[in-house]
Amino acid sequence: MIPAQTSEKLTRVFTLLFVLVFFAYLFGPLIVMGMSAFNTSSFPRISPWDCFTVEWFDVLVNDTDLMTGLKNSVTIAVGVVIFAVPLGLAGALMLTQVSSRLRPWYYTIVISPILIPGVVLGISTLVFWDRMGRMFNAGYDSFFYDGIFLTIVGQSTFVAAYAMLIFISRLQRFDSVQEEAALDLGATHVQTFRKILLPFLKPAIGSACVLGFLASFENYNTTIFTIVSQSTLTTVLASKVRYGINPSISALAVIIIALTLIGAVYFEILKRREEKYERDVERLIKAGGTDRASKASLLTNPAMIIATAIFIAGFGTVYFAGTIGVDECKAVIQEQKALETKRKVEEFKKKRMFKNAAPAIQPETNNSSAPEAEGKQEDSGSYNNIFAPTNLEKQIGGGASEEEQSSGTGSSNNLFAPENLNEQAGTNN
Amino acid sequence: MKAYWKAFFLKNGVSISAYLLISIMIWLGMLIMLPQFFMFDFSFRFNLPPAELGGPKDVYTMSHYKYMVFGSEQASDSYNVVDVWVFVRTIVTAICVTIFDLALCYPIAYYLAHVARGGWARLMVIALIIPYWVNELLRAFAFKIMLGTSGIINDFMMWAGVIDQPIEFVLENYALYAGLGYAFILLMIFPIYNAIESLDRNQIEAARDLGSPWWRIHKRIVIPYAKPGITSGCTMVFMLTAGALAAPQILGGPSSLWYTQIIYQWFNQGNNWQRGSAYAVFLLFSTIVIVLLAMKAFKVKLGEVSR
Amino acid sequence: MSADVQLDNVWIRFGDFVAARDINIHIQDGEFFSFLGSSGCGKTTILRAVSGFSEPSEGRVLIGGKDMAGIGPNKRPTALIFQNLALFPLMKVWENITFSLEVAGVGKAERKKKADELLDLIALSGQGEKMPNELSGGQKQRVAIARALCAEPDVLLLDEPLSALDLKLRQHMRTELRAIQQRVGITFIYITHDQGEALTMSDNVAVMSQGKIEQVADGTTVYDSPETSFVASFVGENNLFEGKVSEVSEGYAIVDTPSGRLRARNAKHNGEYQLKTGDDAFLFIRPESLKFADGGSYDNQIKANVLQHEFEGSFWQVFFNVQGARRTIKLSMVNDGGSVGHEKGSEAQLGFSADKAVATPVGMLADET
Repeated sequence: MIPAQTSEKLTRVFTLLFVLVFFAYLFGPLIVMGMSAFNTSSFPRISPWDCFTVEWFDVLVNDTDLMTGLKNSVTIAVGVVIFAVPLGLAGALMLTQVSSRLRPWYYTIVISPILIPGVVLGISTLVFWDRMGRMFNAGYDSFFYDGIFLTIVGQSTFVAAYAMLIFISRLQRFDSVQEEAALDLGATHVQTFRKILLPFLKPAIGSACVLGFLASFENYNTTIFTIVSQSTLTTVLASKVRYGINPSISALAVIIIALTLIGAVYFEILKRREEKYERDVERLIKAGGTDRASKASLLTNPAMIIATAIFIAGFGTVYFAGTIGVDECKAVIQEQKALETKRKVEEFKKKRMFKNAAPAIQPETNNSSAPEAEGKQEDSGSYNNIFAPTNLEKQIGGGASEEEQSSGTGSSNNLFAPENLNEQAGTNN
Repeated sequence: MKAYWKAFFLKNGVSISAYLLISIMIWLGMLIMLPQFFMFDFSFRFNLPPAELGGPKDVYTMSHYKYMVFGSEQASDSYNVVDVWVFVRTIVTAICVTIFDLALCYPIAYYLAHVARGGWARLMVIALIIPYWVNELLRAFAFKIMLGTSGIINDFMMWAGVIDQPIEFVLENYALYAGLGYAFILLMIFPIYNAIESLDRNQIEAARDLGSPWWRIHKRIVIPYAKPGITSGCTMVFMLTAGALAAPQILGGPSSLWYTQIIYQWFNQGNNWQRGSAYAVFLLFSTIVIVLLAMKAFKVKLGEVSR
Repeated sequence: MSADVQLDNVWIRFGDFVAARDINIHIQDGEFFSFLGSSGCGKTTILRAVSGFSEPSEGRVLIGGKDMAGIGPNKRPTALIFQNLALFPLMKVWENITFSLEVAGVGKAERKKKADELLDLIALSGQGEKMPNELSGGQKQRVAIARALCAEPDVLLLDEPLSALDLKLRQHMRTELRAIQQRVGITFIYITHDQGEALTMSDNVAVMSQGKIEQVADGTTVYDSPETSFVASFVGENNLFEGKVSEVSEGYAIVDTPSGRLRARNAKHNGEYQLKTGDDAFLFIRPESLKFADGGSYDNQIKANVLQHEFEGSFWQVFFNVQGARRTIKLSMVNDGGSVGHEKGSEAQLGFSADKAVATPVGMLADET
């Protein structure tokens, strides 16, 4: 039997390993994607690493499709917040007033948009407004068929549910006797709502707006149906990722991750500040007297200053360093690739001689079809992307660009592999 | 009844009552319930050109549902093999992904709730949330980069000599499975974490004192207590995976098809909204039925899940 | 301005449960009136009906002669001080106090001035900028009073306002509240379960039990001349004898009890003596009215067996077993430096005057409800 001490240590070690592996699974893909944003290679990857560059950020900003989608996403998100947050608030307030028999049914209905698959929400919204449009004999250019309108409506369905959950949670800590006190002192119901309830809910309203904005912004399943002929950032992203990949998308990811990290850091700082304030208040109550606790100014908060400085420095470095030395690096890479191509051509010629001499040897032809398809897919990817520097050669008819994707491992993607050449020859004719 | 309304308006004042009632009617009625009814109704109608809608041909029909199972009349097979097979694959994969996520996330949730210390635990929570602030499309995309034939995983394995041909992760759908397993981890961890966190640590200590091995502690104490959390986590992951669209669109190889992609095709390319609605309705009902059956099998009550 | 409050045949029901039954009360203009009773007796329900948060199921509530039916709490000339004070946590103290002016549209400068006045009144000058969570319990109490007074109500309603305070503060606040009421001059309706508060502060007290008003009178009357067995046993301490009335004359009743033939005042209600010959009755005598007979002559004499002495500082409490009495009999005597004089276990003769005793019809006792 393993003694208790050792078995506990073993358990501890295994647990730690498990946790580490888990976080590697969680963060690995993101780190890889983030790094690929800085690689000059036209297909996002980090091995082999060509040159460090920030040009993909430029590409990102200049991509009109993406920018239009971004504008629409922001418009929709703002619209959703304005529409859904008041709905969620009403839903939360009603929950406290519905009779206890009805309450489970009511709760099930308002929570359902979160459980219903997003595609179903999108489809049902689309169908509903289409039928409504027909009832009013509206034309296709009316709001019944407008992508922005439909998306706002469709997304609000579940964003309101999220908002409602936030409000319910906050309302549980609300002492409703305050409302009675306000009424008793002569306030009207509207005044009570405005002066007593809403100020208490302010943090919840803030959270609901932020959450609603983010949930709307990143939504895909519902949006892809309701957006009809227009686009949002997510739908543009999806089509780009499916059909035309380049690291500008990784660049977008880097920006989003950076913004997230900044947000998380600031949030943590604000939270610490709030806790300190509460501790001060308690201390001063015990001490008596007329001293008052105050919240420390954010501007002089050392953690805040350091964090902001780091971020500015980071952005600055990325921005400025990116313009140094990229072209030379690329030139070097080109040269290497050219040499590699030459070598491969020589090798191929030799192999062809051997092949003609030994026809019995059948290299793995059965592999060609399946990976070929994938190769084609990656091919078509880079065909569409006219920003990748290497594509110029492809259009001229050179084969050097293929090496970009094969990384010289002799995979059957390589057009210079014996099997593929015959096929290539066949299709090119 | 009338007394109820009078009390309601008295309690809230006229304006607020109006705000509440109108909002509820819009949200529950116009946004949640009516569209579902309309979609349900739509799935039973023929795909008619706009001119013929409302006309004599606009009657109820089961043709779309029939098509889903039996395929078109001109086809050679007596059953709609492709669609049915895709549906089955989607559901089975969703179940497997749910199980995988559960196995992966339960230890992490437990670790977070009971083993990790204060500041470290909070850091871990933040570390868990950050990946999910990145768009699901980008996360799927990240997997595509990593698992492509020239991606880093393949590169690493070939460099290490483990394989000499790159593994077709994307084509063999491994990328899709890995991506799906990844996509909803957060939604599995947090319900379980919340449930386990409220468990009194002393119970576990007591059990350990009494000599119980760790696996029995989990089986008899922690898991039954965390059942509502486990159930809601599994429900969400299952429904979201079965209804996922982004990951399959991005990570799916050409041979793999996800049921939601078929729905999308009916709307986008097939231009048959009615049929797409029928498929969507079927997805909705089947996932709900499966979840309810599973809850019955594992003896979980509906009320507990809503916590 | 002050107003009187009248409840006519008020019944308040919640479904099948009757919270208040047939309440008929007239509270005078400018009076300090208390409702006294233990939890669940209905006093809070009545308060809420007067302030407008609930409507009576039957009957009318009139304030200043006007029927308040259908008039909401924000339109009634009342102000309520809640049990948990309900100060607005997100507003400063001065904003809390002048809230009633704010909702009436009064300008900020004027409100600040009024706030300063009231802060002086409650001895919290200069603390207007604080938030409620920065105040101690007693300070919050005073802010709640100031806030209510600022609304210049005709009637001020107080819902057990001192129950959350410690003993010393409570005693201090009792005097304060009475002083404020007399200074401001408006009608105060005060509900409490603490007899000391009710008796010391009020002009009149309504003793309540299970939704019913048992007796309305000033403190002395309630104490000396209880009308029902509940009032007799709830207010202060009382010794209990049970028996049947054998004779009634001139305001007195003779009750035959297992402990002897005892004579006491016949309890009155609405001007009428309640007991008739042959009725079952409870006879009450207070511990401080019970004396050692020791040869002197008393209207009533009983034999008792000394159980216990307890020294309480200013008083000696002596406990007896008396044949026929279902509970221990208690005698309170002032500590004048000597000893009790009757040893434990010894026999003693106890006596009391008929004028100090009261006989009531049989009914609920305070600790049985």
